[in-house]
Amino acid sequence: MINFLFLVTLLIYLAASIFQTLSLAISSRSEAVVIRPTIERIAFWGTGIGFAFLSLFITLWWLTQGHFPMTHWTDSTAFFAWAITLIYLIIVRLTHLRALGSFVMPVAFIAILISYSFATHTAALPEPLQNYWLLAHTTLIFLAYAAFIAAFGFGLMYLMTERKIRRKTDALLDNLLPSLGISDGLGYRCTILGVILLTMGVIVGSLWTQYIRDVPWRWLDAKVISTLVTWFIYVAQIGLRQFWGWHGRRAAYATIIGFVAVLCTYVGVDLFLDSMHTYR
Amino acid sequence: MNQIVSIGTSHHVAPIEFREKLAFSEAQIVESLQHFRESDQVQEAVILSTCNRVEVYAVANAVRNADAAAKILAEFLSHYHQIGVESLKKWTYLHHNLETIRHLFRVTTSLDSMVVGESQILGQVKAAYDASREASGVGTILNRLFTKAFSVGKRIRSETTIATGAVSISYAAVELAKKIFNTLEGKTVAIIGAGEMSELTAKHLVANGVSNVIVANRTYERAVKIAEKFNGIPVAYDSDLGFLIDADIVISSTDAPDYLIKRRPLADIMRKRKHRYMFLIDIAVPRDIEPDVSKIDHAFLYNIDDLEAVVASNLKDRQQEATRAEQIVTEEAKRFYDQLQIFQVNPTIKALHQQFREIADTELQACVYKTTLSEQQEAAIASMTQAIVKKLLHHPMQNLRCAVNDGDADHGQYVQALQELFALDVTDDNSDM
Repeated sequence: MINFLFLVTLLIYLAASIFQTLSLAISSRSEAVVIRPTIERIAFWGTGIGFAFLSLFITLWWLTQGHFPMTHWTDSTAFFAWAITLIYLIIVRLTHLRALGSFVMPVAFIAILISYSFATHTAALPEPLQNYWLLAHTTLIFLAYAAFIAAFGFGLMYLMTERKIRRKTDALLDNLLPSLGISDGLGYRCTILGVILLTMGVIVGSLWTQYIRDVPWRWLDAKVISTLVTWFIYVAQIGLRQFWGWHGRRAAYATIIGFVAVLCTYVGVDLFLDSMHTYR
Repeated sequence: MNQIVSIGTSHHVAPIEFREKLAFSEAQIVESLQHFRESDQVQEAVILSTCNRVEVYAVANAVRNADAAAKILAEFLSHYHQIGVESLKKWTYLHHNLETIRHLFRVTTSLDSMVVGESQILGQVKAAYDASREASGVGTILNRLFTKAFSVGKRIRSETTIATGAVSISYAAVELAKKIFNTLEGKTVAIIGAGEMSELTAKHLVANGVSNVIVANRTYERAVKIAEKFNGIPVAYDSDLGFLIDADIVISSTDAPDYLIKRRPLADIMRKRKHRYMFLIDIAVPRDIEPDVSKIDHAFLYNIDDLEAVVASNLKDRQQEATRAEQIVTEEAKRFYDQLQIFQVNPTIKALHQQFREIADTELQACVYKTTLSEQQEAAIASMTQAIVKKLLHHPMQNLRCAVNDGDADHGQYVQALQELFALDVTDDNSDM
């Protein structure tokens, strides 16, 4: 039953991602008026329904396992997709910029696909990790990742719009992507949000290890180092923008670098390095 | 039967010399509408008179066919404006019924305009319609027709893009600026040199929210003079471009033989203004701005050719959309025409039904009065008479409706025949529409 629900969720995410990408592929103004509204509506509602299914699925999983599901890649990637979708929906709610979905939904879909392909695995969560600290720590970190991915989406939107403006003739043909000012500004806000969440997540994590679990702090833990590098990349981005006017194009590239750092921290460390944070 | 006809002329078919002869002033429109009302030949009329077109839309019901109705209008124009019938024939077009409807829809949706997608014409048609309504020139049919025309205009605007995309250089500049800055509020535009085009563009930018205008010129006195027009700040041009530090949009149109804005000094300026976006518009020939400027981050340069290419691509886009809009107009015109036909035969159908039913009822009452019937029998006879009426009328009504739906021109004669044969009293009061 749960697996069937998961399959349905996967397919809805696939459909939503395809439609989100389709709406971006439309480039002529006439198509934009005739078919895009329909495609956009399907994509957006698909995203909403997919999110509802995913939430239900994670809840059921939680109930059957008896603790917050964050043991295996299956749990982790599903939660990752959930966080991405949540942040996306919040941004759409605030800004009405559905186009962001064209960039972030495929990421969410790939996460669910990975989750689905591991779905038969289950692993017991060690007793000391079964508490609200884990919930708070991972939720904050994943929401931070999701905010960074949204910033990445805005960065790509910025670069696409800029390319169109420089190519001149089709600069005005498309009305889906927002102006440079908007993409840049929202990307920056997402970056700030991500940094705040990540900082909080790291603090919660370190308090948890040091004071609650009484585990000696391991500076050399690969995940910790990688997270700090990621954190630094984003903080540097904010600093450069504030003090040297690094916005627009440079900021857009920085969100891409940040995105790569997030992926390295999230996936890379687990695959290639040893850490106390690995999913099994 | 009501005939909807129109006669008119436009920039497509006639030169200005003829159009101005045919034009109506507001007072003349009122006068003409009054003339129609008194003459009793034309029941409803709307006169549209703009600089590009003069058109009279009318409904006549006392005529045999549309040609006769059109003739009335032609004679009126010829007489009113003292124009020979020959030149009237040469420079005007006539439309009948379905074609009139389609033509009005095309005019209202700007498909017949010089620039497809322009929005002025809709307002002009509305004004003409309102003027006629005030002069009691509009009745049920034109009322329906024009209301429909406005809603078709709305539909075209929402379902096609004929009205989007800048089709003039200055609007293209405004749209591009919005694509960069999102909002122009609080932005500063710098005008270098003078010229109609640059001033027009600056005017549009100000109308769209730009709040500060800087005017630079080789001579300060010149700058002061131009700045007065925009309530702007005059500055003297200097080659290290210091005056551009606060400029978000730069319009250059001097007759200088060399580049005024070069890459290196502008890069310095961009650094000083912390790389805030700068949109540079070079409408000078020879160019004022070094093309390499566009290699600076956040500096976006458009020259006159680029802007013209944007406009051309927008126009092409509108043309493509116009084809789709034409389809919608044709389909809407056909639907409206059909509805109108049905709407026009409905009173006759209703009157005929009523007459038959009344006869049946009267006879039934007489029958019941004379005989003693049980309640059941009475009910049976009553329903039988109802059925007879229904069946008798079934074929004539069906055929009449078919004739209407097939666009059969003869249905008018059917209606007339029915009215005369059955002595129907059909008041042409369509208040229940």
